[in-house]
Amino acid sequence: MKFTLKIWRQNGPAERGRLVTYEAQDVTPGMSFLEMLDGVNQRLIGNGEEPVAFEQDCREGICGSCSLVIDGIPHGPDRGITTCQLYMRRFPDGATITIEPWRAKAFPIIKDLVVDRSALDRIMQAGGYISVNTGGAVDGNVLLIGKDQAETAMDAASCIGCGACVAACKNASAALFVAAKVSHFAILPQGKPERTHRVSAMLEAMDREGFGSCGNQYECEAVCPKSISVRFIANLNREYLRAGIVEAGLPGEPESPHAESV
Amino acid sequence: MALAGLGLTIYVIFHMLGNLQVFEGPHAFNSYAAFLRDMPILLWTARIGLLSIVVLHIVLATQVSLHNHRARPIGYAIHRYRQASFASRTMMVSGMVLLLFIVFHLLHLTAEVIGSPTSDRVDAEGYRDVYGKVILAFQNPLVVALYLVGQLGLGLHLSHAVSSSLQTLGLEHAALDRLFKAAGPAIALLVVLGNVGIILAVFLGIVRP
Amino acid sequence: MRKLDPKIPSGPLETKWDRHRFSEKLVSPNNKRKLTVIVVGTGLAGASAASTLGQLGYQVECFCFQDSPRRAHSIAAQGGINAAKNYQDDGDSVGRLFYDTIKGGDFRSREANVYRLAQVSTQIIDQCVALGIPFAREYGGQLANRSFGGVQVSRTFYCRGQTGQQLLLGAYSALCWQIERGQVTMHPRTEMLDLIVVDGQARGIVVRDLVTGRLSVHTAHAVVLATGGYSNVYYLSTNASGSNVTATYRVWKQGAVFANPCFTQIHPTAIPPGDASQAKLTLMSESLRNDGRLWVPKTMADRRSPGDIPEAERDYFLERRYPRFGNLAPRDLASRAVKAVCDEGRGVGSSGYGVYLDFAGVIEQQGFDVVRERYGNLFEMYHRITGEDAYHSPMRIYPAPHYTMGGLWVDYHLMSSIPGLFVIGEANFADHGANRLGASSLMQGLADGYFILPYTIGHYLATARLPSIPEDHAESRAALHRVTSKITRLLSAKGRRTAASFHREIGTLLWNHCGMSRDEAGLKKALTSIPTLREEFWKDVMVPGSGDDFNQELEYAGRVADYLEFAELLCHDALHRQESCGAHFREEYQTDDGEPKRDDTRFAHVAAWEYRDGAVPLLHKEPLTFEFVQPTMRSYQ
Repeated sequence: MKFTLKIWRQNGPAERGRLVTYEAQDVTPGMSFLEMLDGVNQRLIGNGEEPVAFEQDCREGICGSCSLVIDGIPHGPDRGITTCQLYMRRFPDGATITIEPWRAKAFPIIKDLVVDRSALDRIMQAGGYISVNTGGAVDGNVLLIGKDQAETAMDAASCIGCGACVAACKNASAALFVAAKVSHFAILPQGKPERTHRVSAMLEAMDREGFGSCGNQYECEAVCPKSISVRFIANLNREYLRAGIVEAGLPGEPESPHAESV
Repeated sequence: MALAGLGLTIYVIFHMLGNLQVFEGPHAFNSYAAFLRDMPILLWTARIGLLSIVVLHIVLATQVSLHNHRARPIGYAIHRYRQASFASRTMMVSGMVLLLFIVFHLLHLTAEVIGSPTSDRVDAEGYRDVYGKVILAFQNPLVVALYLVGQLGLGLHLSHAVSSSLQTLGLEHAALDRLFKAAGPAIALLVVLGNVGIILAVFLGIVRP
Repeated sequence: MRKLDPKIPSGPLETKWDRHRFSEKLVSPNNKRKLTVIVVGTGLAGASAASTLGQLGYQVECFCFQDSPRRAHSIAAQGGINAAKNYQDDGDSVGRLFYDTIKGGDFRSREANVYRLAQVSTQIIDQCVALGIPFAREYGGQLANRSFGGVQVSRTFYCRGQTGQQLLLGAYSALCWQIERGQVTMHPRTEMLDLIVVDGQARGIVVRDLVTGRLSVHTAHAVVLATGGYSNVYYLSTNASGSNVTATYRVWKQGAVFANPCFTQIHPTAIPPGDASQAKLTLMSESLRNDGRLWVPKTMADRRSPGDIPEAERDYFLERRYPRFGNLAPRDLASRAVKAVCDEGRGVGSSGYGVYLDFAGVIEQQGFDVVRERYGNLFEMYHRITGEDAYHSPMRIYPAPHYTMGGLWVDYHLMSSIPGLFVIGEANFADHGANRLGASSLMQGLADGYFILPYTIGHYLATARLPSIPEDHAESRAALHRVTSKITRLLSAKGRRTAASFHREIGTLLWNHCGMSRDEAGLKKALTSIPTLREEFWKDVMVPGSGDDFNQELEYAGRVADYLEFAELLCHDALHRQESCGAHFREEYQTDDGEPKRDDTRFAHVAAWEYRDGAVPLLHKEPLTFEFVQPTMRSYQ
């Protein structure tokens, strides 16, 4: 198979980028999309040119590194997969494929197709955890958690943090990412004590990082490699409303449980 | 924004239902209008309230849009939607259309700046002849066309807005998921059908003076 | 020659760890604040260690080459994590987990380490539940378990097929908390390239900022390596493409001894390699072997489609060879059995390198829906990669390099032969002996990081004399110089071949001569070929771009350069170990029916290799003594 690729090349965060056309030759239908790009890069290096920078690591759809917008859709034309799980048999021979990076203010481009997604880490640092010390935990079976509840929490927890939701959203919102994490913890009893602070802190962090707000178009759900449901966003909104009511509630409550350490 | 929007939605539903009385003839319609006018304090409170909700809604929507616009300074060379509805993608446009239409509508039928003033006419029972005013207005094809465009804007806007607002308010449940998703298009259809029904009924001569 | 003292506490096995913890010196809370610890790597071991050290009050500097700590390769572990909870009341206990692990490792690990691992396994589960990890549950709300390769009890805890992901995200969230508290400073996209040893103590590292290319020195009071294994030396493996040997290998060159490098695990159930462009092998969870049956046609080169081969003409070779364990035989045995039938010419698929993993039986017995609920995501993954539907025709699988039991030598404190350098998780050699059982790597990573290292490092910090050193200490400058000259050399070769082509070549060489089975002739051949290939690399490698910015090819070439040296160490060790044990199978040492022959009189030791500049590495032997269990023939028949 042969393909014409239009790939976004950009030398650094401050430089101007543009789409450059490359030919991908000797592609087989069983090749993954990234292996096809490997081939292009091997040829470029052989010619002494700089290869196209793109991110990848586990190549089995779980690490969340790969991040290409392929013909206008994050992770490409198939649903429920990451870029690394996309195979060339999915494209007609001779097709022209446009490859762009995730685009958002919160994800500045580092080089070519590589963006900086540390904004997502900072949202997590704002509250995406249960603060328990190592050691001294009670026996795992002391806390009974219904199967359905555990499964729903797992649905939310399966987020791989790739940022496709942000890339697909018209508003570059990270609502689905935050919703997944907030819901995972809010559903489980272990996460309840901190739920009020968590949702406010994470949403504030999301705003601070320059993500947009949710317009309920649900493009995020459609491109999420783990097919995380937008119903979790409704849950996030509920948690936020609840936090607004609870936080306004009792006098003398500390604003943030972690205030003293900040 | 969602709450303000939902408030306005409730208003347009009642507005449509009230106006449907045009089908019951001049008596019913004019006395409904008189009933509203007989309570000036309530009427003006409602008008000011509505106006401020509209302003609030627009201000918030503008703020959010600007914020969202800043979140992606450089766009994609190619961008394809997977499941976003047409209505959701055109909220800004439909909102603008709606705003212009509301201004026109108020100037036209409320303030009567546009078209010939009719407020001094009374009907057989001595009520102000609002019924006659409506009949007269919708015999003009240009006005009808403008109203139909306005209704298109309203329909599009509502069909995304209502479900979207429910989601924003966190109203979601496994069993009711489809109901909530259908609420927007259903309400939009209802309101638009009602309004368009009135306009066309007059224009086509089904409702006569 | 240094003597390797494992520092195993005396006394009864059951109380060694408790007594040891009591005898350890503690660091007072005030002093902890003044102590800096470097943690390299943020997989299960690194993230759990960094977060726990931060929680204890140390200042932690944490590094990972990925863009986020959450992407470390622990995330890809599918199956589960073992713990001796005995929730199923099926006869499990700490003792049994200990015995299973030491027997599974073919009696090539330390009793004391393995027992401690089994002991803390139960705490790990409690800790993970407290962190909010959504383990699979029964309808009644209790934790669910499944049985997993090589054991006869159900002690494996799991989160669908994503256990590694959930456990890592748990450790990552704990890390996030400590970052928020200011106890841990995170340095993502930063690769460790050398170790700084001052007066015999590990006191810092040299790192490269992968975005700006800037090299810098970080000093500390102790250094913890949690940098994973080296399966990628084989080029094709189930590891992430970023996983590499660089940190452990460069530390080896600074004097830390490397133990049992030849113990490399080949996982039996990966999707067979396709064409030459393939960049990685995809693992299918071992849990598939709970319900799937492995078979090949009885006759050679049988090209009929699997459905057309009648029951009588199928060879369910694992059930035949290991009737007691059947398809659940340990990984090393299963992998070799697969290789054996393929070498006989009975392999399936276009390449002949593959066997069937058949689910027809369980689908018939328990129904389509049960199988889909259990393995749906794996079947889907298989379909996506191969284009085949495993619900209707059997999967094809073939072994793939997956995990390395070998690693930097550590004592009972998890400290390497360089004082102040601690090594945890897959990067050390300690607990799995010659073969690792399924669902034990997650257990070991978290045991080391949450529960063992935080204690033992305290003892070191409380007792060692650690004068403050300036950042531009002579040793720092020397380390910086080593790194700079290596980078310059890579960039100035300007040859014609890509780093990947060398990686592929060294990988193929190792797979052929030091892979699933090894022999003296092959290993000697490899040992002569590797230096030639290495020379060619330095002459002919092409690394475009500069060292002063984001340059993925430069990162990769540096790692390949280390593989080209490390491969030799791997072969030396395989050549030295004249026995077959666990994952290490020497053709010369097998019984008549092809079972491995272990040699406890000559090889009941840890082979620990010391780097010598320009000479063959020096071998140290740490004898393994078995006071509490008797090494037996590891029979699964």
